[in-house]
Amino acid sequence: MKKYWKSTEELSEMVQQNSPVRTGEQEPEFSVEGLDEAEIKQGLKSNRRDFLKMLGFSVGFASLATSCETPVRKAIPYLTKPEEVTPGIANHYASTYFDGHDYASLVVKVREGRPIKIEGNELSSITQGGTSARIQASVLSLYDGNRQQFPLKNGEHSDYSTIDKDVKTKLGEIAAKGGKTVILSSTVISPSTKQLFEAFKEKYPGSEVVYYDAISYSAMKKANKETFGKKTLPAYHFDNAEIIVGFNCDFLGTWLSPIEFSAQYAKTRDLTNGNKKMSKHYQFESYLSLTGSNADVRYPIKPSEEKTVLLNLYNYIAGKSSMDILKAGKSPVDISKLADELMSHPSKSLIVSGTNDVSIQVLVNGINFLLANLGGTLEFERNLQIKNGCDHAFANLVNEMNEGKVDALIMYNVNPGYDYVDAEKFINGMKKTGLTVSLSSKNDETAKHANYVCPDNHYLESWNDAEPYNNLYSIAQPTIHNIFDTRQAQESLMAWAGIEGNYHDFIQKYWEENLFGKQSEYLLFTDFWNNSVQKGIFETDAETIECPLFDFDYFNRAGADFTKVKAGGDIELVLYESIAIGPGIMANNPWLQELPDPMSKAVWDNYVAVSPRFAKDKGWEQEDVVKVNASIELPILIQPGQPYGTVSIALGYGRTDCGKVGNGIGKNAFGLGETNGDLRSYSNLSATIEKTGETYPLATTQTHHDMKGREIVKETTIAEYAMNQAAGNESHKLTMDKSETMYPEYEFPGAHWGLAVDFNKCTGCNACVVGCQAENNVAVIGKEEVKNRRIMHWIRIDRYFSTETDEINSPVVSENPEVLHQPVMCQQCDNAPCENVCPVAAVLHTKEGLNAMVYNRCIGTRYCMNNCPYRVRRFNWYRYLDNDKFDYNFNDDISKMVLNPDVVVRERGVNEKCTFCVQRIQEKKLVAKDENRPLRDGEIIPACVQACPTKALTFGDTNLKGSELNKKFEDQRAYGLLEDLHTVPSVQYLTKVRNKDAGHQGEKHHS
Amino acid sequence: MKNRFTIIPVFFLFTFFSTFNLNAQNTAPAEWATCSACHTIGKGRLVGPDLKGITETKDEAWLISFIKSSQTMVKNGDAEAVKIFDEYKIPMPDNNLTDDQIKGILAYIKNYKEAPKEEPKKEEKAVGPGESKGHEGSGSMKTHEVTYGAGNTRTVFIVFLLLFFFSLIDLGLTKIIKAKFIHYIIILTSLFIIGEIVYVEAAALGRQQGYSPDQPINFSHKVHAGQNQIDCQYCHTGINNSRHAGIPSTNVCMNCHNVVKSGALTGETEINKIYDSWENKKPIEWVQVHNLPDYVYFNHAQHVNAGKRECTECHGNVEEMDRIVQVNDLSMGWCIECHRTTKVQFEENDYYKSFVELHEKIKSGEKGVITVEDIGGTDCSACHY
Repeated sequence: MKKYWKSTEELSEMVQQNSPVRTGEQEPEFSVEGLDEAEIKQGLKSNRRDFLKMLGFSVGFASLATSCETPVRKAIPYLTKPEEVTPGIANHYASTYFDGHDYASLVVKVREGRPIKIEGNELSSITQGGTSARIQASVLSLYDGNRQQFPLKNGEHSDYSTIDKDVKTKLGEIAAKGGKTVILSSTVISPSTKQLFEAFKEKYPGSEVVYYDAISYSAMKKANKETFGKKTLPAYHFDNAEIIVGFNCDFLGTWLSPIEFSAQYAKTRDLTNGNKKMSKHYQFESYLSLTGSNADVRYPIKPSEEKTVLLNLYNYIAGKSSMDILKAGKSPVDISKLADELMSHPSKSLIVSGTNDVSIQVLVNGINFLLANLGGTLEFERNLQIKNGCDHAFANLVNEMNEGKVDALIMYNVNPGYDYVDAEKFINGMKKTGLTVSLSSKNDETAKHANYVCPDNHYLESWNDAEPYNNLYSIAQPTIHNIFDTRQAQESLMAWAGIEGNYHDFIQKYWEENLFGKQSEYLLFTDFWNNSVQKGIFETDAETIECPLFDFDYFNRAGADFTKVKAGGDIELVLYESIAIGPGIMANNPWLQELPDPMSKAVWDNYVAVSPRFAKDKGWEQEDVVKVNASIELPILIQPGQPYGTVSIALGYGRTDCGKVGNGIGKNAFGLGETNGDLRSYSNLSATIEKTGETYPLATTQTHHDMKGREIVKETTIAEYAMNQAAGNESHKLTMDKSETMYPEYEFPGAHWGLAVDFNKCTGCNACVVGCQAENNVAVIGKEEVKNRRIMHWIRIDRYFSTETDEINSPVVSENPEVLHQPVMCQQCDNAPCENVCPVAAVLHTKEGLNAMVYNRCIGTRYCMNNCPYRVRRFNWYRYLDNDKFDYNFNDDISKMVLNPDVVVRERGVNEKCTFCVQRIQEKKLVAKDENRPLRDGEIIPACVQACPTKALTFGDTNLKGSELNKKFEDQRAYGLLEDLHTVPSVQYLTKVRNKDAGHQGEKHHS
Repeated sequence: MKNRFTIIPVFFLFTFFSTFNLNAQNTAPAEWATCSACHTIGKGRLVGPDLKGITETKDEAWLISFIKSSQTMVKNGDAEAVKIFDEYKIPMPDNNLTDDQIKGILAYIKNYKEAPKEEPKKEEKAVGPGESKGHEGSGSMKTHEVTYGAGNTRTVFIVFLLLFFFSLIDLGLTKIIKAKFIHYIIILTSLFIIGEIVYVEAAALGRQQGYSPDQPINFSHKVHAGQNQIDCQYCHTGINNSRHAGIPSTNVCMNCHNVVKSGALTGETEINKIYDSWENKKPIEWVQVHNLPDYVYFNHAQHVNAGKRECTECHGNVEEMDRIVQVNDLSMGWCIECHRTTKVQFEENDYYKSFVELHEKIKSGEKGVITVEDIGGTDCSACHY
């Protein structure tokens, strides 16, 4: 039997419960953390003074209340109303997100000229309407008051004409004397910008462009060049794969194009519509990643072991194909079964690795080639262009700068002063460079050392184009006028290159000259252009190329060094991008800082994650502060699934110059990585960790909202599912058979809304959480309040670990648990426990099956919260609006512009919860009435459903026969959460099916 | 400039097409709403000429082609068309109307009888924008303004509050009155009265029935909507598709006031304020009369377009108001009352097809009328989210 647990504390509690003597002390039900010492001491004792205070207040208030006048409210119309704007109606504009790291084609919802919500663009063949948590949150970064609001000259307020004059003169002088000007840029996928760079180089001979990515993929490109003869990244097709093997590669969370890969991956795991086959996913990794948590079979390995495993895998397959084998040590994991499985699925498997190491990437290429995957699950006809940085070129540049060989440096969308492995060296180099200009949108760690800062626009204020894959184009259009005195980076470059006009015209010209001819649908360029802008995309076929062959001669060229494996030390350190913060570009975004990590559920910090057993052996405990590599101090977090002998730290934290929210949150771990030649590696094989003796509190959402030991998540294996579709979900039928009530049931004359969650498709990526937060004006409350268990998210992703029962009883806590992600929102019960306990009837059932929460009636008794078995109700402990204690996005006029005007901002003292996005339901109902037609199935899309990259959530009307939702509800995998309580929830979950042998974990099983 | 002026009327034209049917000749056809923005019948010149008797002076075929596209005729050099254009300067926008529709309009103009002139009531004159200047104006405003807890109520409240405290103090400390039952009577009575006042006043808190504040421009709906019969939607454009009816932007005012430079009641003073706004690029800051609390979601389109409610049902006879006044209290009870009794377009609108059971109940005669309440119109989440 399996046991589920959510945290190590709970696990140890379970172990203790099983032992004869129970020692575990239950935590107090109500937290006193919010109260100060005096308050706790005093309790609720009141005295004479309090009585007089109360008396005075009530008299004063009564007379005030009876005499106050209603404030005068102004209604100010436009002077000239723009034709396309109707107050109260949202406009949607297609756009594109690319920050040098993540790409997505989007639709931006704009209300009265303010972008308020990001949604995916269904027309894009790449992201297919999906988004990620970071992209959902990017709209808030637009209203970030800590963006650089005006141009700077040597740190002083300046204006563009002065700077333009200075920069042009200096660049001219440099070009005249044959000096060197470098544009340092993060990856650029805009073909127009690339052309602009060319024009710039022409104007200033001797200048060059160097691309730099904080998270480097240089090794992959180098390996592809060496072995396939193509210095590009291929297009991956996870949807064609039956066996997927990942090596330290978080392709569902952060690797290359996670939104696209998540959609592809989910397709292979879809068991609805009678499908009985699904892909099998193996993951070898050195920290518990989002991808690893979704794997059917997961092997925790040390970073130093990755190459050995790959060498063995290569040798096994090469040996069976009678090819030469390579020298390899003994693999820490038996790979023969995996290799046999791979070989029995020719051209239907995919091996990927996220390690920035040429030999590892060469081995991956070799294995993929031997398995005939080229042309099947990966191909070079389309090249993924979103990672163009070159570690070698950048290392060279830093050296040259330090030698004083660079005369001018223009930095676009880069921040090496923060995210380079040797940031200090880069800053020193900047100081030796004659002219340094930053086009960063913030006066960040790098820009503050530059001579000039010309702040860039936010992407929602800019025109741009993008070519993430060759011949797949998309367009970004401005959805708001510049909020601050910023200028788009491209227009700055145009000004210095002496190109007339604005960047919009420049793009248009590029499209007319280069792309218009690639299509035959439109005869006029304006039609083509307008159509492309409207759709946001322009896609044409890729040129067919011959499938490249793997160059086996590379092994001879590389020599003996190739198979050399660097040994690891006592502690191996892994650096990774977290789902929320990523490389730290949006560290000043409060939505992202308060987004719980999918695995640790920690917010507002990074930490050193260690496995329970390793921590015990080393004598570390949760929240102990340790010094890593004698440079940074971070707290310990016990993370099941972290391999023994390794620790992991998230990148992207520890910003010092990003703004009021992100400054000083966590520590910067970029400097801890090693370099291998010029290549950056995001690990450190011989790290040192010293305990400092201090402790530091971490805020996690891990143990609260707990559902103590009931049948909450259900799962089965593919073999059992093939025999019985209700496998793992047997109790559903029993419950439904016994489901009876003596009370009258509600009638739902029209629609009855419901939501289905498919565990096989949900990866736990958290896009829905941020999407919901943006749509429903959910407050950010800060670390202290999260610690007080008051997080406000309306939808949360519960993460359950599971292990076999006897492993729990064993003294060693499971090192490699299985993971299950469960999104939990209000279940909109038809027999809701929250409704009948409200003393003021603020919670009522509607004729469409929703639990309506009436904020203006709520008096804050919190009875509903206590009576909700799902723990989805949230209480406003404070007024989060205009409160200096919560100085996030509700406390200044600029960031308040992101609020959705159709949803109330809740007051202090009221309860709130998920509404199934009732504002969207009402909106679409009205549209249908206006158009004199019934609602269409799938027309109403709540924010969480809209944000989901894998289509794991389905919303619809259970009263509508044949609806997509009913197909899910009728699936034998479907069950309601805690349905045995007879709450009759309107949300149904579809049992998770794992593609593993019935007894996979049973290998260690000893009865 | 010219472009903008033509597009807006054309836009309305489409809106009207989709919402109205051709009416009988003695009532105004739907298309007339567009015409009436610039023309009157027998009430003098507006942006365009007075159309009284136009059917007698002009040939029908000529009129039809002129209405369809006056500028084409001007370009083609039609003498009469050029003459009219020279006189009025503003080009009449093209109208996408069928011959029959135009004939309907012409018949309406021909058969139009002026309504008997009403004697202006004295009370209304008192709040007329013309008079509401300076001291007198603010005085007249008082008659429409609701002041909360003013006068009597406040005095009564304070008196009983004092009585309450005095008897409390006397009961416990000073003991002037010996008979304790007097204290108890006073305390209980005053508590009851205080409670009553608090209850009534608190319930009315924030309600503004009768509210009629001074506006930056003494704009008269009576002149615009009443005498000139400009359709509500000409200015309040959002009414059919948005939650906000919308207050017209200055450029909408300028559509007519480019030409109409002097008003019947106030001469040039008030109209000049529009020009001020237009020239100084400063929008007019109107005072919102009909206010709902933030936690109430109200949608005009839902009521006007889907629910087929008339503007006057909530806003009263606006076309008779010189200064706008809130007629109803806009309380929740008032909303709910209407939702309980109003019949929805249950048979007419295909949206309701999915309410299968209710349709069957109508067929079987179990239910006669489907009210808003029956389909969830009194659910909390219909308005509060």
